[in-house]
Amino acid sequence: MKIIIAGDGEVGFYLAELLEKEFQDITLIDKQRDKLAIVENKLGIATVLGDSTSYRVLNQAGVQNADLLIAVTSVESTNITTCLIGKKLGAKSTIARINNMEYLVDKDKLDLRDLGIDELVSPESLAAREVKYLLKSPVLTEVFNLYKKDLYMMGVRVEDDATIINKSIAESAHLLTNSSFMIVAILRNEKTLIPTGDLHILMGDLLYFIATDQGKDKVLEYTGKKPILIKNVLVIGGSKTGKYIALRLGEYYNIKLVEKNLEKCNHLARHIPNVHFVCGDGADVGLLEEEKISDYDAVISVTGSAETNIFSCLLAKDHGVKKTIAMVENTGLFNYSQKMGVDTLINKKMAAANFVFRHILKGRVLAQLYGIESEIQEFIVKEDSKITNQSIKELNFPANAIISGVVREGRGYITLGNFKLKANDTVFVFSLPESMKEVVAFFK
Amino acid sequence: MNLIQNTKFDTFKMIFKQIGGLLIILGYTMVVPLLVSLLYSEFYSALGFLISGLISYLIGFFLNKTIQIAKVPLNRHALIIAAMGWLSIAIMGALPFFIIAYITPVEIAQQFVPSLADYQSSIFYFKNPLHALFESMSGFTTTGLTMAVHEPSIGKGLIFYRCFSQWIGGAGFIVLALAVLNQSSGKIAFLLYGAESSGERLRPTIIETARSIWKIYLVLTLFSFVYLVIGTYFILPEYNLLDNIFDSINHAMTGQSTGGFSTLDDSIAGYNSKAMDMLYLLPMVLGALSLPFYFKVFYEKQIKQFYKNLQTRSIIITCIFGGIILSFLLLKSGVISEPFRVGIFQFISALTTTGWQTSDVHIWDAASVTFIVMGAMIVGGAAGATVGGIKIIRILLIFKGLFWHINNYFSSENSIKVVKFNEKRLLPDEMNRELAVAATFSFIYLVFVLTSTFITYYFMGTEYSITDALFESASAQGTVGLSCGITNPEMSPVLEITYIIQMWAGRLEIIPILILFRTVFLGTNPKVV
Repeated sequence: MKIIIAGDGEVGFYLAELLEKEFQDITLIDKQRDKLAIVENKLGIATVLGDSTSYRVLNQAGVQNADLLIAVTSVESTNITTCLIGKKLGAKSTIARINNMEYLVDKDKLDLRDLGIDELVSPESLAAREVKYLLKSPVLTEVFNLYKKDLYMMGVRVEDDATIINKSIAESAHLLTNSSFMIVAILRNEKTLIPTGDLHILMGDLLYFIATDQGKDKVLEYTGKKPILIKNVLVIGGSKTGKYIALRLGEYYNIKLVEKNLEKCNHLARHIPNVHFVCGDGADVGLLEEEKISDYDAVISVTGSAETNIFSCLLAKDHGVKKTIAMVENTGLFNYSQKMGVDTLINKKMAAANFVFRHILKGRVLAQLYGIESEIQEFIVKEDSKITNQSIKELNFPANAIISGVVREGRGYITLGNFKLKANDTVFVFSLPESMKEVVAFFK
Repeated sequence: MNLIQNTKFDTFKMIFKQIGGLLIILGYTMVVPLLVSLLYSEFYSALGFLISGLISYLIGFFLNKTIQIAKVPLNRHALIIAAMGWLSIAIMGALPFFIIAYITPVEIAQQFVPSLADYQSSIFYFKNPLHALFESMSGFTTTGLTMAVHEPSIGKGLIFYRCFSQWIGGAGFIVLALAVLNQSSGKIAFLLYGAESSGERLRPTIIETARSIWKIYLVLTLFSFVYLVIGTYFILPEYNLLDNIFDSINHAMTGQSTGGFSTLDDSIAGYNSKAMDMLYLLPMVLGALSLPFYFKVFYEKQIKQFYKNLQTRSIIITCIFGGIILSFLLLKSGVISEPFRVGIFQFISALTTTGWQTSDVHIWDAASVTFIVMGAMIVGGAAGATVGGIKIIRILLIFKGLFWHINNYFSSENSIKVVKFNEKRLLPDEMNRELAVAATFSFIYLVFVLTSTFITYYFMGTEYSITDALFESASAQGTVGLSCGITNPEMSPVLEITYIIQMWAGRLEIIPILILFRTVFLGTNPKVV
């Protein structure tokens, strides 16, 4: 599969890095010579220097044979133009990154597909959507929608008041009498474990569940969490992400948004209803105390600086804020920030990459998770496969992988041991990288 | 020094050229009352209109065509043109009254007087040029105060002319000139448009905007006309149909323009019918709503504007509650036999600045008079309509500003204190600017009203009180036209001139007049300190 990525920033590089692992032929177009050189050395992919809206540059990248053209520069109009020209020159499918919510809201009316843009992606808006899910169920460290409103991936940290501590998974299985959720992975001391019956759950573990809609509450019950009601939300940083959070959530929560730049702050204040705006530095302890940070149920820090975001969240935790979410673009900081006590991380690049994976590259890697090594993959069971009509416990499935959910005829199911796979089921598999090949072979 | 002299000269040339254009239009408009006079066989009136129209047209033609100037007017010029233009129109528009008063023989004039009446024709009051100017100014500014003591006795031609002048003046003379002449460039047109009316641009070009405004205005007037003819026919079946049509045309024009001249001796009270009072409420309210608002409803099909539009909503609410409160005040005072009928009609007439009268305000108690002055006449209708007054939107803005100011004490020092007003979100700086403009205007408006109240107090007849003076002054300033009797042909000339200036300033929202005075007394150079 030939994929061309037109980018000028982190999203482009990150996508290239991820896709490189999976596919053969990636070409990255970028305007910055030195950055391209780094990528070329590190990833060994083809690069083209220049403006992606140029006919010559696109041809040079081989657009006429491309299966997919992804335009993710920070300039929306560049992305749209790139896709339009690329499609004209022969790219089979195109994705454009956009900043303007209008395009997403009126997606069907505008019908950009007609023009040559097959899919729109807005990392900021995806991040805002993630925040929305997280605020709805604040005890979760992570929520990820696998299939419509039917299957969710969720992460929960085990804290000292949980009854399941020091019990093996098998022992706690009596609590799992229903088939609405299951544990698919455990993150302990930076290591990812795939659960087996005799594995004990320890305090501080981060448990990953897959659950149906009804199962979401059961997961909380299982881990001994009491639901928290979020009402007052402090958003730090008026970046695009902050703006979308304010726009999307303004009507549901009391939101106060802190932004350093007065001009930006004024601009946001003029356009976003139902939100208080404060001009000031989100890393300024005095200011946050003056704004009564301890009165907030949740603090979401989405400034351009990961360090500021982590710091603000730690400060908030210290003041007794129940839920803190930090935007961390530097993936190297994931483990440390989680260890230090930030509840939840969001990452625009990963949100965008996950989106691209899910919507365009069906049947492959579905999603990356924060700080965890395993990946969720999606497979479709074939008619003539040897695994059809067998219950899962008889399958002899690879050890470091787990079948965690199935979509059958438009409905999601949790796959406990007695579940039998049928042809045309969509199967979600959770696996460690070393078992990836085995898993793929299994479904061939 | 020479250079300055030249610029000043240029300024006046430019202004007179534009005024010439307005006078040409005025000349043309005289054709309509001329035809009406002929229709009623009032040949002396017809001759009067012919002469006045010709004079106006020729002066206009002379100014507009002979002055050659390439300079493009600036904003201040547009405001001066508006001020000077309206004054010139009032002066030239006074000619028909003056000329007809002189050329009509006494016995002909006496034929105008209704057969049962025992008074002389009021037409001869206009032999006094000041009275003619007052009547003309009251007409074009849509005020409705009058020197024609017994309206029916001045002849159908002049009655029609009075109402017609209000109708033309209502939507605006400059807007009409822009719509008809089609000769001004975009920039001049925009400046002139902004100087006279709300300045809201409805169409991409100002010429088209001006035409849209006149189209809406015409359609609304036609609607009022049909409504009044049918309504009158059903309520008073005995009433002569020809009189009904004549009344309805005139009242539709003066209702839509919120002018308030009437064809009857006692205004709407002349019908002596409760149902007719009710019938006449609608044209007044229609006239008080903003023309851009109608544009949005009809052209852009935004029906929800009816309850979403802040001005429209507040006017309707104010009409209802104000009317009820005034009724109770009148009921309490006990001087009026039908307080609810009078209260509601008079409040709406005052708020919409129409000025149709069904009651003798002179006998009202002080509380009711003060309430109608403060709660209706000074407030006025919607910006962008034909009304006078401070305009309801400014009052709302100032109140909003007050609450905003108080609430600010409760938010933290660094927070951005945004305020939402009329569907717009305003930043502190913008809000302060808007507030300053609205507050300055309201303040100067009140200064005008109060100053005039004192002038009135010293020059009025002894039978009137200070509340009467306040009432009459607010009525002239707000281009309302309700009168408690102070305005009459025997009034002091000082007071008459004061009211003329007030009506003139009231129609143009004062500022252009102040700019004109500044230019006349201090020239056009910027002030250096």
